[in-house]
Amino acid sequence: MSISRRVFVKSGGLALFSFGLDPLFLARAAFTSYKPLPPSAACCRPVLVCLFQRGAVDGLNMIVPHGDPIYYRERPRIAVPEKDVVDLDGYFGLHPGLAALKPLWDAKSLAAIHAIGSPDATRSHFDAQDYMESGTPGVKATGDGWLNRFCQHDREHQDTPFRAVAFGPQLPRILAGTAPSLAIDDLQAFGLRAPQPAARDRLTRAFEDLYAGSATGLLSTSAQEAFEAVQLLKHVDPAQYRPENGADYPRGKLGKAMFEIAQLIKADVGLQVAFADVTGWDTHVNQGASEGQLAARLRDLGQGLAAFTVDLGERMRDVVVLTMSEFGRTVRENGNSGTDHGHATAMLVLGGPVNGGRMLGRWPGLEPAQRFEGRDVAVTTDFRDLFAELLARHLGARELSAIFPGFTPDAARFPGAIRA
Amino acid sequence: MKTRIVWLVAVLNASPPMVGAQHAATLQRPTPDAALSPHDSAFHALNRLAYGPRPGEAQGVAAGGVMRWIERQLSPDGIDDARLARREHQFQILDDDRGDLAAMYAAVQRERRQRKLADAPDTLTDTREDTPMVQRGRRLAGECADLAVLRAALSERQLYEVMVDFWTNHFNIYFAKGADRFLTPDYIEHAIRLNAMGKFADLLIATAKSPAMLFYLDNWESVAPGTSPPGRNRGPKGINENYARELLELHTLGVDGGYSQQDVIDVARIFTGWGIARPQQGGDFEFHDWAHDRGEKHVLGVRFQAGHGMDEGIRLLRLLASHPATMHHVSRSLCQRFVNDDPPDGCVDDAVAAWKRSNGDIREVLRAIFRGPDFWAPGNLRAKVKTPLEFVVSAVRAVAAEPDTSPRLAGVVARLGEPLYLHVAPDGYAEKEDAWVNSGALLDRMNAAVSLAAGRLPGVTVDLDSLVAPAGAGQLIDAINEKILGGMMSENTRDVIRRQVSGIGDPLQARALAVGLAIGGPEFQRQ
Repeated sequence: MSISRRVFVKSGGLALFSFGLDPLFLARAAFTSYKPLPPSAACCRPVLVCLFQRGAVDGLNMIVPHGDPIYYRERPRIAVPEKDVVDLDGYFGLHPGLAALKPLWDAKSLAAIHAIGSPDATRSHFDAQDYMESGTPGVKATGDGWLNRFCQHDREHQDTPFRAVAFGPQLPRILAGTAPSLAIDDLQAFGLRAPQPAARDRLTRAFEDLYAGSATGLLSTSAQEAFEAVQLLKHVDPAQYRPENGADYPRGKLGKAMFEIAQLIKADVGLQVAFADVTGWDTHVNQGASEGQLAARLRDLGQGLAAFTVDLGERMRDVVVLTMSEFGRTVRENGNSGTDHGHATAMLVLGGPVNGGRMLGRWPGLEPAQRFEGRDVAVTTDFRDLFAELLARHLGARELSAIFPGFTPDAARFPGAIRA
Repeated sequence: MKTRIVWLVAVLNASPPMVGAQHAATLQRPTPDAALSPHDSAFHALNRLAYGPRPGEAQGVAAGGVMRWIERQLSPDGIDDARLARREHQFQILDDDRGDLAAMYAAVQRERRQRKLADAPDTLTDTREDTPMVQRGRRLAGECADLAVLRAALSERQLYEVMVDFWTNHFNIYFAKGADRFLTPDYIEHAIRLNAMGKFADLLIATAKSPAMLFYLDNWESVAPGTSPPGRNRGPKGINENYARELLELHTLGVDGGYSQQDVIDVARIFTGWGIARPQQGGDFEFHDWAHDRGEKHVLGVRFQAGHGMDEGIRLLRLLASHPATMHHVSRSLCQRFVNDDPPDGCVDDAVAAWKRSNGDIREVLRAIFRGPDFWAPGNLRAKVKTPLEFVVSAVRAVAAEPDTSPRLAGVVARLGEPLYLHVAPDGYAEKEDAWVNSGALLDRMNAAVSLAAGRLPGVTVDLDSLVAPAGAGQLIDAINEKILGGMMSENTRDVIRRQVSGIGDPLQARALAVGLAIGGPEFQRQ
């Protein structure tokens, strides 16, 4: 990254932000006069960040259909009052916990899609998460995940070990498969571990020599990648990283993951697919309305995403963030002021390439006859249509039918999340 | 074919200390330089039929004759395993019967319900103390995984433990899916371990009837359409094909086994009513007559007459167990496990022939593989990369370390990518190297190796003195090469270790580093 751009963002971005203009707006302005770096650099490749809201988020309280009286009728205790909803288009609005994302909507960098989900009717977290990660609803035997299949089928010669990274202790199902992908629990601890930096360097060199001289086949190439990655990260120096533009990440797992994803993006180490889990959405009891359990989780999510976009500044030009969740929750609140397992839910798509400022998908309505099995929001968009669009139009995937076996991707069904 | 029979006779008549491997090599490859030394044969067998040699073990096996050692491993009941038995006593889980676990499940469920209804609104910040039974329930997964690692490391019945791991993946279940948190221990102890070296048909039936599998693949809620439990008018809605599909695709015929979607549906109909008793009633297998579809079915062209109950499921499982596609599919998986990621056709053919001869006796199939020329072919030596479980356990064995009874060593296996009983998809953990070898995983292995050698790996006590006394670089490297790497240390590895060790004054530190480099290095990743 050239120094001049950084300085520009630092000085100008902060100033404008204090006037209420988000740095993304600034990034747009900067983009018009921006000259791309030479193609040799790994810089600026499109990045897709996927956040999995495990536990099934209540889409109706995340993106609130405040224009629909049925919503208020069915949820006397947990509906978000009209006065608290951050209105988006007169009918839908953000939960107040997500208020930090409103500037992105106004800058047309945030879109929301409702009534999205799986063609499979399961209400089991286990099965539904499995299907959303394998990308093959109804088929359990699929061994790998769709993000990994994307990496298998769209191989690029400048791939680095950081192409696909899950931020967490274990590689999730969505990234399982034969294409190399990393699980990084702590960016600072990546690589060989030793008490002192000198000992660490020495150990690294020793293993590097061992594998360079004695390994064969996949062991050899993977080790080579590993030491390249260690080398790359050494230059990045995660211990010294400070967020830019005054970005303030929330404490907690999500904030840490977003913080580390931003670091890797800015470090230009070839990151293309990032993944992190966000837990705590299974709100059967006392989920709350404008305040409460769900509100706290949404605030964490909203602040994490907002800090991420502020920190990345103009780099958001290349980045799309997608939130996903295995299914939604019942339209009607239950006897414990919560909601039970439902069907369709809502997802957010945000970033520079996003065709934002609008609701995507087709709203099926909340009348009992319009619901799935009389109780849940019906699915009008197969999640694979959205995922396929992001892969094709943002990351340039060409082998969509191999990535989603048994599914015929059709651009005509793409929800239109990415600007043409 | 004729030469093979002659060779078999030769092996069977071989009197110790003659080594079968030499026969295999000499008969298949006329060039004498391809023959394996007794030591190399023993090292190879210990890497494949066992979780790697302990210090000095390869020499012992070579001296007694590798084929004789293999024969002993094929009859695990005849092998004394008192040391492991003493350690197993420390695992409370082996004292729990199905009823105890079902009671634990019921208690956890009750606790969860009460919590949900309690006044404290925020379940995320609820800090109330769990009851001891609930706490124990939460620790079960770790306890089971650590028991598996301990058995793999310490058992003298090494081939048996390898087969338990093989079948656990072949008939995969997922610990963290609902009731399987409490059904898995019984599944491992009874369905898998009791049948791991018996008849394949018995193993297949045991898994089909196991509550853990019935729950994992949803068959427990598969009922004939329109039926409901007596006295209730709501319940499961119809047939669920999950188990039927995986039974055909993964457990028996294989994905190219020649079955149709209609076969899957009729298999699912045959298993309607194969369910689980309520936890309060012990949570055992239970056949629900009311839920069974008594109509006529056709599977693979075989007619199942109308009017039958649970018996037709057993008949189907026996049919599947001896189907040629099953023999081929399972034999291929075994050859992949023991011989090469891309199993040679000859190995599969030998295994299938033994399967036919013995009516699916797993020991006979294994014997055929171990006596076949492919097992001993030089091209298949060190041809496989260790899985994380194999890597950790072989490292523990290589340095004669003693695992403790905490779930921490299993935690290391999990961090390296293979949390036991936690593979979500029904295909089980992969056998091929590309699932395990990637940059992050390799760095993790190097770190684990260095920690283990330095005595810093949690969950295990290391005594390097039993491996090699602190010594000069040359002696140290020779000992490591002989005892850990089976004499396969490359010149480069020798040079690198020598260079690293030369700068270290403290002989204990030098030894730990040398051992760590050897275990984290490329030679030790292979078997």
